[in-house]
Amino acid sequence: MGGLSFLSPLYLLGILAIAVPIALHLFRRRTDTVVEFPAVRLLTSTPVEHQRRRRLRELILLALRVTALVLLAGAFARPFLAGRIVAASTPVTVVAMDRSFSLSGPGVFERARLLAAEAAGEAPASHAVALVAFDEVAETIVGPTNDRGAVTAGIRAIGSGVSGTRYAAALARAAEVLGPRTGRVVVVTDLQQAGWQGPSRGGLPDDVEVSVKRVEASLQNLAVVAAERRGGRVEATVRNFGLEARTAQVTLSIEGKEAARATRSIPAQSAVPIVFDAEVPSRGSASVTVADEGGVPADDTRYLVLDPAAPTRILVLVADPSALGGGLYVERALGAADAGQGFEVTVLDGRSLTSWTPDQISREHALVLLGTRSLERRGRELVSGYLTRGGSALLALGPDIDPATLGELMPMPTAVAPQAQELGAGGATLVLADPRHPVFRPFVTPAAALGDVMFERFWPVGDEGRRVLARFSGGPAAFLEQPRPSGRLLIFASDLDNRWNRFPLSPAFVPFVVEAGRYLTEVRRQPQTWVLPTTPPGIEARPGVYVLPNAGGVPDRRVAVNVNMEESNPAPISQDEFLAAVPRVPRTTQPDEAAEARKAEDSQRLWQWGLIAMFLALAGEGLVGRRAT
Amino acid sequence: MAGPARYLDPAIVARLGTIDLKAKTIVEGFLTGLHRSPFKGFSVEFAEYRQYLPGDDLATLDWKIYARTDRHVVKKFEEETNLECHIMLDVSRSMGYGSHAVTKLEYASYLAGALAYLMNRQRDAVGLLTFDDHIRNLLPSSARPGHLKSVLLTLERLTLGTRTDIAKPLGDLVQAIRKRGLVVLISDLLDEPDRIIEGLKHFRYRGTDVVVFQVLDPDELSFPFERAARFRDLESDREVVAVPAAVRDAYKARLDAMVSNFRTVLGQNGIDYTLLDTSQPLELALLPYLQTRRRTL
Repeated sequence: MGGLSFLSPLYLLGILAIAVPIALHLFRRRTDTVVEFPAVRLLTSTPVEHQRRRRLRELILLALRVTALVLLAGAFARPFLAGRIVAASTPVTVVAMDRSFSLSGPGVFERARLLAAEAAGEAPASHAVALVAFDEVAETIVGPTNDRGAVTAGIRAIGSGVSGTRYAAALARAAEVLGPRTGRVVVVTDLQQAGWQGPSRGGLPDDVEVSVKRVEASLQNLAVVAAERRGGRVEATVRNFGLEARTAQVTLSIEGKEAARATRSIPAQSAVPIVFDAEVPSRGSASVTVADEGGVPADDTRYLVLDPAAPTRILVLVADPSALGGGLYVERALGAADAGQGFEVTVLDGRSLTSWTPDQISREHALVLLGTRSLERRGRELVSGYLTRGGSALLALGPDIDPATLGELMPMPTAVAPQAQELGAGGATLVLADPRHPVFRPFVTPAAALGDVMFERFWPVGDEGRRVLARFSGGPAAFLEQPRPSGRLLIFASDLDNRWNRFPLSPAFVPFVVEAGRYLTEVRRQPQTWVLPTTPPGIEARPGVYVLPNAGGVPDRRVAVNVNMEESNPAPISQDEFLAAVPRVPRTTQPDEAAEARKAEDSQRLWQWGLIAMFLALAGEGLVGRRAT
Repeated sequence: MAGPARYLDPAIVARLGTIDLKAKTIVEGFLTGLHRSPFKGFSVEFAEYRQYLPGDDLATLDWKIYARTDRHVVKKFEEETNLECHIMLDVSRSMGYGSHAVTKLEYASYLAGALAYLMNRQRDAVGLLTFDDHIRNLLPSSARPGHLKSVLLTLERLTLGTRTDIAKPLGDLVQAIRKRGLVVLISDLLDEPDRIIEGLKHFRYRGTDVVVFQVLDPDELSFPFERAARFRDLESDREVVAVPAAVRDAYKARLDAMVSNFRTVLGQNGIDYTLLDTSQPLELALLPYLQTRRRTL
């Protein structure tokens, strides 16, 4: 199959319309405007238009009109270049080329290119070839094609990246490229063990053959795996991923200038902490670099920001701070996060909130609502406005919650019953309904920790349209998440102030509250350090220190972007292990020629070019026609 | 001189019944205007008197007035002549062209009728000759009262001829004229200019005065066409494809050159030449005739 094909060829019948301008052309030639005029003798020697030139112009006009009609009919017929796609029945060899930074060692990526070209060349003649490049994400460089030259050019265009390896991403993209076709996938990689980390993304159909072309890479690698400021010093950790001990020189640079240097012997498969003796300024940026000859260069430098981290602010609203509880447990739990550096907590009663401004409350990364009884109208409007603008909150339904005003407080229905209820004679415990939820991350292994807490009283909450994360034993929803277009809302159906239960006294309370705080503030938090491939919006995916421009009243701030250290470990797996790890799924789709044609037509969109050409032809016709008259 | 607005539009004249009425309307209107004009002295109106002044020819004294009123007045222009006038009217196919109310032939026939009427009123002998490439009608000149009617009837029944060949009828007429007189040629002159001029010169050699009226349609004067077209000659059927915007200037230059040539060469030979636009009042054509007639007398 080759050349131009059409998705709706019946529209080509519209080309018959070219008979109209042709007929008009011929008809007009016969009935050319004739003016009977007595003084023609005076016209004889005047510069009259030459007949041949006029005829040529008419032919050009005719050609332009016919071209416009043909292009219009062609555009409606939705053309596509069939030569650029491969029939759904043609088997495909997908060359998936690893471009993670573990291949950035001297000469390694060149070897990868050669192996990829070799894999493309070895594809059976009956196969089309496609090229996929992958690191943490996979990208189709060349779709299935019979043009091996395009694949070779595509291989030359790929360069080593700065992200880690994710085989799951590569295989998922290969499966997508294969679609309903049969074929084979050749993975060109250094077979890094770490490449199998991360979630599975489906598998390859069971009839697709998978093979590996292993790129030989150095097994020696030193990497700066951590660098942070501790007091007035910078502390770094350098890891030797190799099988032999190495002595390495590690350099601290501040604002691009060397500030300190240290030499350390690092045993094989070990990490060594280094505290540089140079005083560092209170603001600015720094980098720690290890000299790693022969290793992967991308992980030899780690960047860090010396500016104080912006605190993550949480406002805890209580009915009365001086009363029993008064938000004390939540405040202390949040304050314990990250050695006291995690959150900046403000506890406030409803009356005090009245003096706040919308701008003030908008700076809070999340709210924890423990008591609403003392909230006045102004306070309720502030909370409601905050949530409406995408703010996050944890609503703990304790005795200080006034369900009558919740409708005014929350921009969404919370379905809280008007009366609190007892949880039976012996109380009830918590049972996780969705243990994969991030809030329950610390409880996945010791899942019983939450189950030890007894709850006596709760507010029944309707679970329709909400995600129930945990239930009280016996069935009522205990912990829910309200889906929202922006911002997050968690609803805890009982008290978090040690009044209706002893949960605040449980060892599970602190991790629960901290994780809830992290989950709620995740949306608004502005981390100082980013790990590739994730970067702040507008920042290129390259390691370094960047300044985020002022936006929305937030001052300029520096962020550090570093490579993912998982990729620094060159430890490989065998080809057999790799092939055994490839997930497989039964083939469910069959080749669909029409769908392929639609897809090709949709991707090429030649009809748009056809219409543009038609308008150009009409514009040309207008110009030539105007000159003719 | 009264402005053109005071004269009759050819389109109005065209709606006036028979040609004798048209001729009368044109001439009377013209004469009425002439009484009030500074060209009064050129008129042949016989009811014109003025006080006798020393030096006036005593032959012009009106003795009857003197007998009745004892005043000496001279009677101007009232005289009977034996001038022979020949009106040559081109009826070739090109004269059938008309872009508005009247064709060139209609305009020319009204002019011929008016001239005949005026000549008859002046008691000149008037004859009519119509031609295309040869003489088609010939009414010998006569001053008889009934003769005017024959002239006007002939003008009323004109039909278009074929090609123009002015030189040949001119030669025929030169041979036919035996007496000093006046020849009025009314034509679009879309023929070989040199042959026309040569033919007219022969009249001058014989002492015959000549007045030439070239009648052209406004389209011929301005070439106002917009769209490219195939222009077909009315007489030869020859076709020229032309884009008017491209050829207009050249056309007008050639037309101007032709008119200028006629005006210059004919003027050098004592022939009065007048270019007439068929959208202009007919009366304006009569004045050149009167000037020539006065000179002839």
